[in-house]
Amino acid sequence: MTREAAVLSVSNLSKKYCRDLGRSLWYGLGDVARELTLGGGSARAGSLRRGEFWALRDVSFELCAGESLAVVGANGAGKSTLLKILYGLIKPDAGRVRVAGRVGAMIELGTGFNPVLTGRENVRVGAALLGLPRAGADDLIGAVADFAGLEEFMDTPVQFYSSGMQARLSYAVAAHLRPDLLLVDEVLAVGDLAYQRKCFNHMRKYLDEGGTLVFVSHSPYHVQSICRRGILLEGGRLAFDGTAVECLDSHFGTQLRGESGDGANVERRAVVLDEDHPVAVESVAAEATGGGELRTGEEVRVTLRYRALRGTDALWGFSIWTGDQWVCVTGGLDTTPRRLAAGAGELRCRIPRLPLAAGSYWLKAAVIDPDTFQPLALLGWRDTPQPFDVAEDPTALKNTRTMVNQLTVLEVLWD
Amino acid sequence: MEEVIYSAESQLRSPARFVADTWADLRVSPGLAWRLFLHSLRANYRRSWLGYFWLLAPPLATTVIWVSLNSARVLKVGPTETPYTVYVLTGTMLWQVFADAINSPLQQLSNARAILTKSRVPHEALLLAGLIEVLFNLAVRLLVLLPVLLWFRSELNLTPTALALAPFGVAALLLLGFALGLMLTPFGLLYQDVPRGLALAVGFWFFLTPVIYPWPSSGRAALLAKLNPVAPLLEATRGWLTTGGTTAAREFVLVLALTLPVLLAAWLLQRLARPHVIARLG
Repeated sequence: MTREAAVLSVSNLSKKYCRDLGRSLWYGLGDVARELTLGGGSARAGSLRRGEFWALRDVSFELCAGESLAVVGANGAGKSTLLKILYGLIKPDAGRVRVAGRVGAMIELGTGFNPVLTGRENVRVGAALLGLPRAGADDLIGAVADFAGLEEFMDTPVQFYSSGMQARLSYAVAAHLRPDLLLVDEVLAVGDLAYQRKCFNHMRKYLDEGGTLVFVSHSPYHVQSICRRGILLEGGRLAFDGTAVECLDSHFGTQLRGESGDGANVERRAVVLDEDHPVAVESVAAEATGGGELRTGEEVRVTLRYRALRGTDALWGFSIWTGDQWVCVTGGLDTTPRRLAAGAGELRCRIPRLPLAAGSYWLKAAVIDPDTFQPLALLGWRDTPQPFDVAEDPTALKNTRTMVNQLTVLEVLWD
Repeated sequence: MEEVIYSAESQLRSPARFVADTWADLRVSPGLAWRLFLHSLRANYRRSWLGYFWLLAPPLATTVIWVSLNSARVLKVGPTETPYTVYVLTGTMLWQVFADAINSPLQQLSNARAILTKSRVPHEALLLAGLIEVLFNLAVRLLVLLPVLLWFRSELNLTPTALALAPFGVAALLLLGFALGLMLTPFGLLYQDVPRGLALAVGFWFFLTPVIYPWPSSGRAALLAKLNPVAPLLEATRGWLTTGGTTAAREFVLVLALTLPVLLAAWLLQRLARPHVIARLG
C-alpha cells in the first residue's frame, strides 16, 4: 500500500496527557506559547513532563478507500484520543496524520445536540456546522428522519428523546453527510437490534461505495460484522495490527491474562514434611498427550508430583478454575484410595476429550485422606495455582464464545 | 480531493495551510452564525415565561434606581448636558453593549464546550453568533430608548449627521469589548478564575466609566477617565445620540485604531490555542 493510495496515513503518532489537572492547565499555557513562537505543539515532544503519561505512543497504520478498521482496546487504551486526533479536534505531540478527503465523525452519543432544540433544528445546525448549504440541509432532514425512523419526533426537543433515539439521530446525521472517512465511536451500543442491523447494512453499502471507516467498539459482534482489519491498543501503544478477528482474539487473550484471583500471585513455599504435613504436592500440570498446545476436544494428561513422609493411603483430584478464579468450571476426583509410596512420586490421569472452550484457566490439586475426607495436601488453594491455556485458531465463533464467557464445549450429535 | 495534515508543528510553520484553513472556516461562519443565533434565541427563551423582557429589565432597573436616587438627592450627581433620565438610559445601554461584548466570546465557547470537544466546529461561527446576539439585545433595548429620546426631544439636539455617526460608536464599543473578551477566552476556558475575575472587573469598570454620572474634568479621576478606553467611546456615542456632537472625537479615533490590532492578535491567539485548550476541556 502506498501512502498516496491511502485515505488515512498515521505515522508515529504520540499524544500525552497529564494526570494532574492543575499541571495540565499550566502545561496548556506553555503549549499555547510554543505554538505562538513557532515551536512544537508541546515541550520536548519525545519526553514527558512531570505528571504526564503517554495516551498514545508511536502508533502507525494506513487505511485505503473501502477498508474498515476496528480499533480495539481496554478502557484508557487510547482509542478515543486516536479518534479525536484523526478528527482534528486535538493536536498530536509527535508524529503525523494525513487524511485525503472529508472526515465525518460520531465521537460520542448525542454529539453536538442542543437538548432544548428539536430534532429538525439540531439536524439543521449540524448540517450547517459541517458546511452544508440550506437547501442541502432541508433534503438531509428528510433523509435523516426517514433513516432514523423518527419522522414523528423531528419536532420534539431532543431532551425528550431516549438514548436510543439520540443514537439513531447521531448516526443518521453523520452517515448521510457522506464523508470520505467516517469515524464511529461506540455510539450504536444503545440502539435496538433492528436499528443496529440497519446501520450495519448502511455501513457495508458505504464501504462498497469506496467509503473508509474507523470503528471503535467493545462489542465483538459489531466489530466482526463490519470490520476486516483491526488494531489493538494497549496502554497507548499499537499491540496488534491484523485482521479484526485476530485482533479481538489478541484482545481477549490480553484481558484474560490480566484477570487473576486473590491467590494467583502468592508464592508457593516448599513444604517441610512432618507428622502434621505427611504429604506435599510439588506440582500439577495439564499437557496434551500428543504434545503441543492444549486444544478443545483433544486428549489431555494431568500429572501430580508429590512427596510423602511415609507410605500413605489417599484420594487425589484436581479442579479447573476460570481466569478470575471465581468459577470452578469442572474437575475430577479419583474416589478409589491408592497407596502413595514414601518419598517422591507421581499420580497421573487422562481426560479423553477436553471439554474446555479456548481461554486461560487455573489448575488446582488436592490429596485427600480417604477416611476423614480432609485434605492432606493442596496446591493452588492458598498459593498460586497452575495456569494453563486452551488454544483455538482465531475465528469469529471463538470470539463469540469468549465474549459470552462460554467455558465448556458440549459434544453434540446434530440430527 | 482535499488533504488534511495533523502534526505537532506550530500551525504558523505552514502559513499557506493556516490561511487556507482559516479562510475555509471564515467562509462558512457568517451563514452558520446566523443560524446558530436563531436557534440559540429560540432555545434561550423557550423555557422562559417573560421571554425578551429579561433583555430590557437590567437597563430599565438601573435607570429607575439612579433617577430615583438622583431625584431624592441621595447622591450628588453633577450637572449633565441632557436630562438625567436620558443620560443614564443611554449610558447604561451603551455600557451594556460593551459589557455584553466582553463577556460574549467566553460565554459562547463555554456554553458550546460539549460541542467543541466532540465536533469540529468553526469557532468563528460561535463567536460571530455571540456578536449577533449582542446586537439583537441592543436592538430590543432601543425599543425603549427611542421613545424616551423622542419624549425628551425638545431638550435634546438630535441632528441627522450626529445620529448617523452613532452606529459607528456602537460598533466601536462592540469591537473593543469583543477584542478584550476574545483575548481572555483561551485562558478563561482553562481557568475558572478568568470568568470570575472578569465579572468582578466589569462591575468595577462600570463605576470608572461615565455611565451614570459625568466624570470629573480635573484631578486624579480625570486622569483615570483618560486612561479608560471605554470612556471616549461611550461619551462620543452618547453625544452623537443626544447632544448632536462630542468633544472626545480624537480619543475615539485613537481607541478605535488601537482596537483593531488587538482584535486581530486576540483572534490569532484564540485560533492557535484551540487544539491545546480543547485537549484540556474533555
